[in-house]
Amino acid sequence: MLKDITLGQYFPGNSVIHRMDPRAKLIVAILYIVAIFCAQNIIGFAALLAVSFLLILLSRISIITILRGLKPILFVLVFTALINIFLTGDASEAPLWQAEIPIFSLVWRPTIYRIGVLRAVLTSVRVVVLIMVTSIFLTYTTSPITLTDAIEELLAPLKLLHVPVHDFAMMMTIALRFIPTLIEETDKIMNAQKARGADFANGSLVKRAKALIPVLVPLFVSAFKRAEDLAIAMECRCYRGGKGRTKLHKLQYHARDFVALVLMCLFLASIFYINYLNPLGISL
Amino acid sequence: MENILEIKDVSYVYGGGTPFEMVALNHVSVGFEKGKITGVIGHTGSGKSTLVQLLNGLLRPQSGEILLNGESIWAKPKEIQKIRYRVGLVMQYPEYQLFDETVRADIGYAPRNMGLSPEEVEARVKEAAAFVRLDEELLDQSPFALSGGQKRRAAIAGIIAMRPEVLVLDEPAAGLDPLGRSDILGGLREYQRSCNATVILVSHSMEDMAQYCDRIVALNHAEVFLTGTVDEVFSRSKELAEVGLDIPHIARFALALQKRGVPLEGSLYTVSGVAEAYMRALQRKKAASTAPQSAGEGDHA
Repeated sequence: MLKDITLGQYFPGNSVIHRMDPRAKLIVAILYIVAIFCAQNIIGFAALLAVSFLLILLSRISIITILRGLKPILFVLVFTALINIFLTGDASEAPLWQAEIPIFSLVWRPTIYRIGVLRAVLTSVRVVVLIMVTSIFLTYTTSPITLTDAIEELLAPLKLLHVPVHDFAMMMTIALRFIPTLIEETDKIMNAQKARGADFANGSLVKRAKALIPVLVPLFVSAFKRAEDLAIAMECRCYRGGKGRTKLHKLQYHARDFVALVLMCLFLASIFYINYLNPLGISL
Repeated sequence: MENILEIKDVSYVYGGGTPFEMVALNHVSVGFEKGKITGVIGHTGSGKSTLVQLLNGLLRPQSGEILLNGESIWAKPKEIQKIRYRVGLVMQYPEYQLFDETVRADIGYAPRNMGLSPEEVEARVKEAAAFVRLDEELLDQSPFALSGGQKRRAAIAGIIAMRPEVLVLDEPAAGLDPLGRSDILGGLREYQRSCNATVILVSHSMEDMAQYCDRIVALNHAEVFLTGTVDEVFSRSKELAEVGLDIPHIARFALALQKRGVPLEGSLYTVSGVAEAYMRALQRKKAASTAPQSAGEGDHA
């Protein structure tokens, strides 16, 4: 039941994107996000879509998997699209369609303008490519551990300001590591309490929330115990924080990472250029 | 003998239709006799844990049916909760299910869920605590203040308090010291005798099985490999050992003796049984050597 979470899942593989350095992936993803929010017209959006499909092809992850990852945000997409269609527009323009509902029209007359539809489409594209590209770079092709490694390295300059970067990264790694363990344990405890007559599915909201107490108490007890055990195990192996600590697998930039960075910078620049030219005269 | 619980042609597959498909039980049919302790043995991944979760309706079989007193437990899926009160399941490491403020309240959790009156709940808590030999003064302590063995017994009491028709325990003695093991298993034997209860016991320890069970069901690769009384099953120790199932140490010892030519006969899975068989073999040998033309046997003393 709790195992059906697909958003944020790592698919091992050996594509170009898999092999990229996680730091480079993180920077490239951020540049792409900047490009998404800078794009102002149809040509820019077409370029965004083209690049995202190119990335899907490069990552060799099936398009079905990626579309399935979009399912959780479907509601947000539809909701924002509807708001854009009905509530935005340019009154100086002739409307595409206008509802004629007796009486109700006195209060509000649903009107659809050309620019509203355009905005709905473009914002939807924005959200879709945002989710697709960040998940291709950061979750589908990068294991959580290497991702935290990358974050630690990229944030390293903050150490000069006495920000405990290593400790944050370690906490993130541990948290990610124990999610599946906790899910498994929750399942087990729920089964044990079901065997004693617990009912999690029926009854009022209050009743169902109360039914969770026999699950949450043992779960917290064992989580704290596990945390203590882990702390002791780390101390036994002389863990003393990040100071003087070296890495077994040191991250290394390769030519492909620089190529990707340069290409993404060029892409961002061309988005700016397209905005400036604005050949079709559409802007949002 | 009458079967209180019966499994008929049950199959269960995890992750069916995916590359991770795993058959846990493959057309298994087996009966559990009323008023007996039945042991379920089998190595890791043989389907033991799946079997016990099917018995009380935590899992639903994909084919076949499970009969409790001749009635399918899934006849009314909405009332599966009632089946769970009648077939009490103690999961592996049950001490993780303790949650309430006092041991008394925790043991009373299931009876309260059953909707019993406070007096009845109290009576059942006391009765169950007595069965697992939990001192009455411990009942008002926090369950988290108990020792490991006490926690385990409190958790088992939490199931016994439902007065189930069948008590199913998945590895109840795992991870305990020898004293803790005999405390729990001996307590179960006593519970079974005094209430004429039906108990199903899953365990890895063949010694415990030989000592505490009446009947044995041996699972191997998602199928029933052997079933019968302890005598019948362990008399086929050789076959059990061949499929990689563990057998009691003393049975292994007896097999080794037989291999060396000692003619042992009888039930060879408890220390006393093997000792008696050995004495008989010695006496026969003595009788044979006093006879005039006796052929000497190998020296094995």
